[in-house]
Amino acid sequence: MKKKTMQDKMNRQYFLLILPGMVIFTIGVILPLLLAFRYSVTSWDGMSVEKEFVGISNYINLWKDANFRQAWWFTIKFTISNTIVQNVFALLFAVALDSGIKGQKIYRTILFIPCLVSAVIVGFVWLKLYSNVLPELNEIFGTNINFLLFGDGKTVLTGLVIANNWQWIGYWMLIYLAGLQSVPSDLYEAAKVDGANAVQRFFNVTIPMLAPAITICVVGITTGSLKVYDLLVSSTGGGPGRASTSVIQMIYSTAISGRQYGYGSAMSVTLVFILLLVAMIQVKGLKSKEVQS
Amino acid sequence: MKRKLLSAILCSAMVAGALTGCGGSTDDGAAQAPAAEPAAEEAEAPAAEPAEEAETPAAATDEAVTLTVLAGQSTTDAGIEDMIDAALAEKYPNITLEWECTGWDGEFHPKMQQYMQSGLPDIIIGKAQDVNTYASQGLLGEIDATYLDRGLDAARENVTFDGKTYGLVYNALYQGVYYNKTMFAENGWSVPTTQAELQAIVDDCNAKGIVPFASHMVDTWSIGNVTMQFMMNDVFNTTPDWGDKFRAGEVSFADDKAAQTAYSYNKLIFDNTYPETFSTEQTDCDARMVLGEAAMKVSGSWSIQNFLDIDENFDFGIFPFPNQTGDSKLIFEPNIAIMTSAETEHQDAVNCVLDVLSGDKDLAVEILDFTKTASMLKDVAPTFPNPSQADIDEYASKGMIVDVTLGNNQLVWGGFQEENAADIAAYLQGDISFEDCLAASDARVGSSSAQ
Amino acid sequence: MAMRKRARQEEEINRKPYTASTFVVQVVMTVVAVLFLFPLFVILNYSFKTKKELYLTSPLKLPDSLQWANYEAALKKLNLTTTFTNTFIYTAVSVLILALLCGVTAWAISRGKGKFFQFSFVYFVIGILIPFQALFLPIYTIGYKMHLTNTRYGIIFMYIATGISFGVFLMNSFMSTVPLELEEAARIDGCSVVKTYFIIVFPLLKPAFATLIIMQAFQIWNDYLLASLYVSKKGLKTLTVAIQSLFSAQASDYTTAMAAIVVSVLPISILFLSLQKYFIKGMTVGAVKG
Repeated sequence: MKKKTMQDKMNRQYFLLILPGMVIFTIGVILPLLLAFRYSVTSWDGMSVEKEFVGISNYINLWKDANFRQAWWFTIKFTISNTIVQNVFALLFAVALDSGIKGQKIYRTILFIPCLVSAVIVGFVWLKLYSNVLPELNEIFGTNINFLLFGDGKTVLTGLVIANNWQWIGYWMLIYLAGLQSVPSDLYEAAKVDGANAVQRFFNVTIPMLAPAITICVVGITTGSLKVYDLLVSSTGGGPGRASTSVIQMIYSTAISGRQYGYGSAMSVTLVFILLLVAMIQVKGLKSKEVQS
Repeated sequence: MKRKLLSAILCSAMVAGALTGCGGSTDDGAAQAPAAEPAAEEAEAPAAEPAEEAETPAAATDEAVTLTVLAGQSTTDAGIEDMIDAALAEKYPNITLEWECTGWDGEFHPKMQQYMQSGLPDIIIGKAQDVNTYASQGLLGEIDATYLDRGLDAARENVTFDGKTYGLVYNALYQGVYYNKTMFAENGWSVPTTQAELQAIVDDCNAKGIVPFASHMVDTWSIGNVTMQFMMNDVFNTTPDWGDKFRAGEVSFADDKAAQTAYSYNKLIFDNTYPETFSTEQTDCDARMVLGEAAMKVSGSWSIQNFLDIDENFDFGIFPFPNQTGDSKLIFEPNIAIMTSAETEHQDAVNCVLDVLSGDKDLAVEILDFTKTASMLKDVAPTFPNPSQADIDEYASKGMIVDVTLGNNQLVWGGFQEENAADIAAYLQGDISFEDCLAASDARVGSSSAQ
Repeated sequence: MAMRKRARQEEEINRKPYTASTFVVQVVMTVVAVLFLFPLFVILNYSFKTKKELYLTSPLKLPDSLQWANYEAALKKLNLTTTFTNTFIYTAVSVLILALLCGVTAWAISRGKGKFFQFSFVYFVIGILIPFQALFLPIYTIGYKMHLTNTRYGIIFMYIATGISFGVFLMNSFMSTVPLELEEAARIDGCSVVKTYFIIVFPLLKPAFATLIIMQAFQIWNDYLLASLYVSKKGLKTLTVAIQSLFSAQASDYTTAMAAIVVSVLPISILFLSLQKYFIKGMTVGAVKG
């Protein structure tokens, strides 16, 4: 009995500790979200004073909106490609740098610098690279590689994934590298004694020990990619046609220049829900793996 | 407390305005003052009366006013803010402008929506078509006739609603087909006025290994821009209220042959341009034209800056893109339009800025030369060498020019033209059929007007 | 103790044998590094060219002479001292407060018992997923109504509000590394909850804080959206916003824009290079839960 009141008392103190953060978070994040939800059931144009209530018709229209579906499809493809490519290469590079090569710090720095450049600029630089700079290499080497990746709906995704990876691989690599360097070496020794070869050691020792880092990276890359916007603005602008229009970009153009704030808000709310769902599933899945290891 | 502050600010603005002798709306100020706190009255007495006589701007240096300015700029406009600052500092050193410069294409409208929540900046610089959008929300202040009278009458038409003018149109762009004069002369081509003549040039180009059209379709806006050029001459030329009819359900893209023709010109360009047009951005496109790779470019005055930057001796002209009936007009677009907030607390200072902008001819010439645009002010002409000026003058003298603001008000840019352009790009890329592309434009009818 | 152990580990890493396969890896990574450097080289190269060279010569050709004028123009337009200081202040203050706040919040959530605390965790984590670009209007409206816009504390408030989600998520995953027995012992000694946190838990979380600070600092340093909404006034602008406006304005004159990129990336790169050791250390401990 006494123990219970003790826990109650402590809970009250814990609650007080949580409170400031919760208040700030609620004002800065949750309130805008609720406000967006309120807009999403109106036909507000983003400008006029009156906001006419239209019920869930915005949400119904979303289902019929082929452009919205296309934007989702692109975003999903972009996210999946990114999550796989970025994680795999970040981990590979981390392993490579950790393999005892000389000048590890120099490589680390070179790979890391791109993430200091803002995504808008990265987009522009890669537009120039694909359209001007790289084709120049064809002339020098007499090759005939198609570098015009942003110019065709079929290759634009590849082009963007490359640009995005150039920017972020170094960042995630650093996390993996950090994880690798703190795997106790006696674990490897033990595995070696057990007769495991390099590949087996990688999968049986390294990967499990990196589980927390993997969780951070996977969730970070997935949610980041689902929200892609800056990169597109200055590179493809969502084109050619609508081939690289992301969900956020569509929300932006619908709500702002399209003057359909209510409808755009319905898109935002949908996006938040889906993001939430994805992250929940991922965290649950990855966490359970962490526990096993 | 807040009201007192307001009236104090009002007073100082009035004093400043009065002393600087920029009398545009002293009556405006006087009308507001009695409504404010009595505290204002003390200041009002000495300020209101001698206003017109006191013409010593320097006397007001200590009455510093800072005005906020939101500028939605095209790439060619960036930099004019420094010129305006310098000119203002000379005449009204007490007024400081706090600029917020954004790209017109991407950031200007979000910024406007943002400020609609909190109050607009004192001065807004956008494009003539924005006046329609924001004036209809009751956000813009009427511009005093003193300043409007210094501009061309033609400039007022499309920024005036219910007899009130909300924008001071500063300059204009010309749009049409820019062509390499030297190349045209060498090949014996003359300026085409019909589609058949244009096609002949295109065929000859192709036979000689010249790219007929320079284009940069990576920029979806450029597709939207040329489509409106086509619409102007093939659709609005004969049906000026096509947009209204479209909304009334009388016409549609799916049925209207003229509108379909306008859309399909894009295909003509696409089939006769750089194969990598969807990877080519504007500066490269223009550079390649200057270097003689391409013969023509459907574009606007914004290309001149690039052309001349690359080669100051590049000789080019302009003609309207031929329509089906062979009576195309050259298109002009009122570009920089200065708007003011309906609720500014510094109307007098704002008027001083309008005074400088509309009255300072040296400034105007400097800006026009820099942006390579045409003047919309009376008795002001740019001095930059513009090889296409002779062509423009000729079309103007024959009355063969038309204001694209008509089209942009009938079918708005944001949410409609811009979106349609993305569909046209998708069609050119082979992602969707021409019919789908037309149907998509029809489905967007609800977003086709700013009202 | 822990430090010494880590130092020993690092030594061991350095002592990995350099075999033939290591050499192959070395070659491969060199190629990768060159590929990564290439776009940076292009930026640098463009930034020293004249406009004409930009249009008329091969993009790979080095400039005839270095156009420092591009840099002068860029420096002037970026207003570097002000924008850099602003960005630095916003980042540093937000990150420090975040570290404090996220630490206690995550700890309280993980130690408190009951539905409320479970809910709190989910509640905070929602924030990671919110696409703020899509909510810019409500974010601005609320900020404006609370007089947060165009103030330094306003933008810092927003960085804290938006950063707290990831912070709590991250810190929460470290809490299992703090031995409960120690906390209980402290409590038996009569420590209050707050005191327990600061005396026992806080020091143990230092590595986690390092990770948190680094990750958030990057986020905030590179932020464009909130900065453009909340601090658009001249004296309050951040570096990213300044670059962005310069960039959209100078799209046709991007020699200057490229110079601006170099100028803006340099200070943070130097900062990173000089603090690299600590960064890595922070990440190291962070990524494997202390």
